[in-house]
Amino acid sequence: MAAALVVVGQQRGGDLAQNGLPSRTEALITLAAIAAIALLAGVYALLAWRRARYRVDADVLQLRTGVLFRQERQAPLDRLQAVDVVRPLLARFFGLAELSLEVAGSGDSSIRLSLLREADAQALRSTLLARAAGLAYEGDVAPEAPEHEVLMVPVARTVESLLRNSSTLVGLLLLIGVVVAAVVLGSPAPLVGLLPIGFTVVSVVWTRFTGGFGFRVATSPDGVRLHHGLLTTRSQTVPPGRVQAVRMRQPLLWRGRDWWRVEVNVAGYGGGRRPDEGVVEENLLLTVGTRAEALMVVGLALPELAAAADIGVDVVAAGLTGRGSQGGFTSSPRGARWLDPIGWRRHGVLVTRTVLLARRGVLVRELDLVPHARTQSLALLQGPLQRRLGLASFAVQSTRGPVRPSVQHLPADVAATLLHQQAERAMSARADSTHDGRWMMGR
Amino acid sequence: MRSPGDPMVPDDVAWSAVSPRLALGRRIVACGSMLVVAIAVVVVAGAVGSPIAFLAALVPLALAGWVWWLIGRQVAAIAYAERADDLLVRRGVMFRSLAVVPYGRMQFVDVEAGPLDRALGIARVRLHTAAARIDASIPGLAPDQAATLRDRLARRGEARLAGL
Repeated sequence: MAAALVVVGQQRGGDLAQNGLPSRTEALITLAAIAAIALLAGVYALLAWRRARYRVDADVLQLRTGVLFRQERQAPLDRLQAVDVVRPLLARFFGLAELSLEVAGSGDSSIRLSLLREADAQALRSTLLARAAGLAYEGDVAPEAPEHEVLMVPVARTVESLLRNSSTLVGLLLLIGVVVAAVVLGSPAPLVGLLPIGFTVVSVVWTRFTGGFGFRVATSPDGVRLHHGLLTTRSQTVPPGRVQAVRMRQPLLWRGRDWWRVEVNVAGYGGGRRPDEGVVEENLLLTVGTRAEALMVVGLALPELAAAADIGVDVVAAGLTGRGSQGGFTSSPRGARWLDPIGWRRHGVLVTRTVLLARRGVLVRELDLVPHARTQSLALLQGPLQRRLGLASFAVQSTRGPVRPSVQHLPADVAATLLHQQAERAMSARADSTHDGRWMMGR
Repeated sequence: MRSPGDPMVPDDVAWSAVSPRLALGRRIVACGSMLVVAIAVVVVAGAVGSPIAFLAALVPLALAGWVWWLIGRQVAAIAYAERADDLLVRRGVMFRSLAVVPYGRMQFVDVEAGPLDRALGIARVRLHTAAARIDASIPGLAPDQAATLRDRLARRGEARLAGL
């Protein structure tokens, strides 16, 4: 549509230059052409929507779409990673919703059932989750799993967390400075110059505000449930054992309140994007919460952590804010101060029975947790300076997402031992992992 | 280059090197482009007619020589080792890396060969897990060696694969 408008606009522009104002007939023809294109696009979308068919078997979901180019997709339900019900603003007026299914795959592998009736979407979600879990039930439609809300982020805190953000603050300061300049100069010119920057800051803050609005975390037998959104609302369900890695993160200005944000990697989330792009809404497990809330949410995401009860509060505190060997962490040796004079004492790693903890960051504090059973592959990296100082960096490859766990500047021999031990731990943890596939089977 | 007990090069495993034909292939590509630049400089110098301009052609030639030597070292540094439960791949001279890919995490294994690779008789084995990035790849294997390695890895992966 936009492209058509541009083309028409350009042609008219050329005509204008030659003939002066367009005649009335010409204007009418242009409008009619635009209307025809819009109608055609609308009819095509309607046809595509009417053509789309889905079917749920005992262990696969089939989706057929397309008018000219047909596509048939099959999603094995035992590989189901997450189910989201998304309600865009316009669809909400009509009581419609989109159901999107993540089955781990490369690229954008999510399957979207676009615009079902809200009740149908809910029922389908229950059915998919029940079948994926291997749960036996009576009748055609699985009963909705009971949901228990554990946490809600107050709106006031969301607003304050957005204000306690360095880019928002810089934007505000700029605005004040420019307003002062405009008053002093008695001309609105500086304000105009600020418009693009102001627009960017406002749109980023607005996106975060609407996306994280009314953020609620709930538990259910189907896994962790997240509800959030102001205009477009999103309900995410992540079954047990689907979280690949967790990151707790504290920007500088949240320190006074001891607030934390929790990000996760779930295979399939953020699929349409490049792996190095920033945090996507769906990868957030908690937008902003106190330390206790953040830890509780992490416990929900990594049930193995709670089951083994192998991390003490002091250990987590050492991971979140500690330095050096506090809490039993292995950290960078003194030599690392040449490579990272500020942060070298924060680089650290700790291995427990079920997870690997990697911490870093002095200004922005970060703690990554990777269950041994979710470790994909491992790597050691060593640059020329590190080699001279006898250091090496250790990295765990996780699925696509904001969490990319690594530990910089460990002593080289420690890093090498960690690499081999971690490969073994990953192997044995997988061997007795109970959370793979159908999580309700045999319960 | 190797020192005993170097943590980046564990010596308790049997390392397999890759084919020196890989170095030849990389040298053809890298040094070939340098040669083209050198020839272009000579042509321009001939047109200008200044003898000093001919000396400028030595720069790309010297670069080509350095790259020739560097590629030799880099290819010599690539090696892989199959252990009981995982595959090790190491590479790099200045910036070194050592990757461990557990067989149970492998989703699929690719064998690739471009036109130059085929002419030289080498192929690349690429390992994919569910991770966002490609975990490890072994360039410069003989095609039949690559195929048997792929089959062996796939078989071991299948025996140990456990979900994601």
